[in-house]
Amino acid sequence: MSLELVVFAIASGLAIVSALAMVVVKTPVRSVISLVVTFFALAVLSILLAAPFIAAIQVIVYAGAILVLFLFVVMLLNLTKEAEATDRRPIQKLLGLVSVVALGGLLLGVTLRAGAPPVPAAGGLIPAKDEIPILGRLLFSDYLLAFEALSVLLLLAAVGALVLSKRRFD
Amino acid sequence: MEGAAMNAVVPMTVPLNAFLAVGTILFVIGLAGVLLKRNALSMFLSIELMMNAVNLLFLAYARMRGDASGQMVVFFVIAVAAAEAAVGLAIFVALFRAKRTIDVDQIASLKW
Amino acid sequence: MNLPLWLIPALPLAGFLLNGSVALFAGWRRARKSTAAWREAHPEDHGHDGDAAAGHGHDDHGHDAHGPSGPFLPYGERLFYGVVGVLSVGLATVVALANAVPYALASTASEGGIGPVVQSVWKWMAAGHVSVEMAFRLDPLSAMMVSFVTFVGLLIHVFSVGYMQDEEGYGRYFAYLNLFMFAMLTLILADSLVVLFIGWEGVGLCSYLLIGYYYDKDFAHAAGKKAFVTNRIGDFGMVLGIFGILALFGTTDFSFVDLAKAGAMNGTASITVYAVCLLLFLGAVGKSAQVPLYVWLPDAMAGPTPVSALIHAATMVTAGVYLVARCSAVFVLAPDALTLVAWVGAGTAVFAATIGLAQNDIKKVLAYSTVSQLGYMFLACGVGAFGVGMFHVFTHAFFKACLFLGSGSVIMAMHHEQDMRAMGGLAPKVKRTYLTMMVATVAIAGIPPLAGFFSKDQILGAAFAGGHLVLFAIGLFTAGMTAFYMFRLARMTFYGEFRGTEEAEKHVHESPATMTVPLIVLAAGSILVGFLGVPEALGGSNRFVSFLAPSLATAHPHHLSHATEYVLMALSVAVAAAGILLAWRWYGQKGATPEVPSAAAQAFYEKSGALGRLVANKWYVDEGIEAAVLSPFRKIGTFLWRGFDSLVIDGIVNASAFLVELTGDLVRFFTTGNVRNYALSFSLGVLVLALYVFLR
Repeated sequence: MSLELVVFAIASGLAIVSALAMVVVKTPVRSVISLVVTFFALAVLSILLAAPFIAAIQVIVYAGAILVLFLFVVMLLNLTKEAEATDRRPIQKLLGLVSVVALGGLLLGVTLRAGAPPVPAAGGLIPAKDEIPILGRLLFSDYLLAFEALSVLLLLAAVGALVLSKRRFD
Repeated sequence: MEGAAMNAVVPMTVPLNAFLAVGTILFVIGLAGVLLKRNALSMFLSIELMMNAVNLLFLAYARMRGDASGQMVVFFVIAVAAAEAAVGLAIFVALFRAKRTIDVDQIASLKW
Repeated sequence: MNLPLWLIPALPLAGFLLNGSVALFAGWRRARKSTAAWREAHPEDHGHDGDAAAGHGHDDHGHDAHGPSGPFLPYGERLFYGVVGVLSVGLATVVALANAVPYALASTASEGGIGPVVQSVWKWMAAGHVSVEMAFRLDPLSAMMVSFVTFVGLLIHVFSVGYMQDEEGYGRYFAYLNLFMFAMLTLILADSLVVLFIGWEGVGLCSYLLIGYYYDKDFAHAAGKKAFVTNRIGDFGMVLGIFGILALFGTTDFSFVDLAKAGAMNGTASITVYAVCLLLFLGAVGKSAQVPLYVWLPDAMAGPTPVSALIHAATMVTAGVYLVARCSAVFVLAPDALTLVAWVGAGTAVFAATIGLAQNDIKKVLAYSTVSQLGYMFLACGVGAFGVGMFHVFTHAFFKACLFLGSGSVIMAMHHEQDMRAMGGLAPKVKRTYLTMMVATVAIAGIPPLAGFFSKDQILGAAFAGGHLVLFAIGLFTAGMTAFYMFRLARMTFYGEFRGTEEAEKHVHESPATMTVPLIVLAAGSILVGFLGVPEALGGSNRFVSFLAPSLATAHPHHLSHATEYVLMALSVAVAAAGILLAWRWYGQKGATPEVPSAAAQAFYEKSGALGRLVANKWYVDEGIEAAVLSPFRKIGTFLWRGFDSLVIDGIVNASAFLVELTGDLVRFFTTGNVRNYALSFSLGVLVLALYVFLR
């Protein structure tokens, strides 16, 4: 049993368990923290998939920035436990579960039945060491337009968030 | 850095299918969260989880095909997710201010 | 000077366009101004528009008296409409006479007349072997028609300048009148039945418009509709008749007359010829107000009086006679159809005359008189004397126009009172009107040597000569009745004591010169035009009829000995004189009241019993039509409306609307407004798609 396999088993197990916890726990703060754990585990899986840069921004942007923002909002709104007792939508719940199980079963079945796809022996375009320069080159050549559009989107999101959370429009 | 050896271009010992399965499971868990949680914020968290599950699939396929484009998509997804989170959370704040709740069952004014 | 024929109808058309557009524009401006003024005066009220313009009375059964308020429109505007209206018709008259008179002179000078002048303006339509030229034709018949139509029309336009001066719709009136002249002249001058049909429908339209001139009065637009719908029945026959002519001769231009004379027809089935004749005659019956389609003409008196004179007495209603005369060559091929024409004419003559005996409205008497005289014309055509029939059309135009205009002058003098029971003793007050009307009355009564005598006597002579003794007797009897009701009218209007209120008596006044001059001219015409057709027995050569002969067919060229003619003339004059004397005795008595103008007449009426009541109620024809035709139609209509339209058609529409609503009601439950429901639907949709993609 190689080290990779061990790391994979631990990381994926952690990801799934904490994801389940995220859904199951009633307190929003705990949900967020569980998701942070999931994201860290996913970062580990990213490294296993030869994507250290993605792993880094996964930790820095996702876990570090976005989820902190979530936490901040949860605390700002002072959200406590959900009042599940007042849930009067059993059909919604039942159908939701059915749909989840069916879709999950379907997807998993299809994925696993396909058998292990061949992995290229040589790394192809994903080299071991110089990953970031390659990504950088891609970003400023093939994906330049998308990249610029993204910068505009982020600006718009910043302005939009500001406008939306302003108390009053004067 | 010795850790780079882990990414060495050697045949993986972990089958790619395992990554796909984990991604699918995480996606379905996220879906369940969306469908079953009533707190808008928790639903939003679940959506984030679903996106990350898809990200994992992208990375797996990128590895499989030896193509960095998959990583680029993940990069963009993360950036868009950041924008989305900013706007979404701002909406929740505004919503909470107006309704004193973000329980989606109590916010149904888009009804006939 | 060589003036093209198309100018004759084109000039009134130009007048119509000019007057119509100016009247529209001026009316629009006036309405805007008065609305603005009214708004200013009633700032708090947003109800209806200012109708300061509408409070105006007209000659009708309502008898709104015209106050001394004076003309409605500014002088300049009235002058414009009047000048344009009169001038356009005046120029048309000049052009018409410049064409017709030389033609007539040349034609009478040469043996057997000269051929028709046909001027084609453009090719209107061509389809297969059928082609229709927009062509005008000058031949004896159209030359005769066009000269008197333009001449009488011009006089009536002049008369209208005075008669209509207080009317709000002065410009509209002249526009319609010019449009009518255009249509009538097109009808007369047309060289083919299709072009004639333009005029035929055009005069019908103008008749409708002018009958309904006082469109704010219920009875006026009802009368307009009645005229229009009744004419539709005739027009239906007319259109089919045109198709029939096309089928028979392969052409609709009037060369078919020559073909018919030569007997060159497609197919020889006489039944086809009968059918075509009857269909054309149906058109003529509608347009010329014969039994049973005469009912619209008396109601048409709802229009202004000059309109009654022009359209419903002198010109338009003779279009039917003109059509029969124009197609005379076809009619003589179907002798039984001609017999029917004669009988319808005679029946109409006597029938309308009986109704005319008991009418109290001065215009209604004249209306029934017109119907009756039109019957005479058809009687003449029916016995084959087409030329004589057209001669009566010609003379009738003068004296009947004079009578109508005279009655218009009387009505104006009486401040729009039309009931003869409220008149009486007007002679000294309206001298010129009185004198001219008396001339026309004598003329229509058939007293020699005035115009009516010559034409009417020749009709009776033709009937007698053709061996139609019953028709002759009817015509003679009608002549007596004509004399009676006309002198009854004269007696009740001009003689005796004034029966209206004293207030009304004070205001009786003679009409202005624009009205009396046309009267005088027409009266002179009533005296003189008869001499154009003096029969041989009286030393003439009947130039009128012989001039028309090339255009017409002669069915039964019968000749009476001069002695017989003298007897017939004496007979008709004697009958007329008897009618006059009776009227004079009955309606000349003193002590008459507005309700009962004559004790003797009242006594006779009471003795006459059922027959008298029938006549007084116009034989209940309108009521009969109501019961036999209109009421069933209305019931069918109501059934289709309530039963079919409301239930079936609306039912289908409403049912589909209900279905949509139901679907919406069902589907709207999916729009819960709950985000989780939407998410669930979404995921179920994804599930279905995934199943489709993976398990396909």
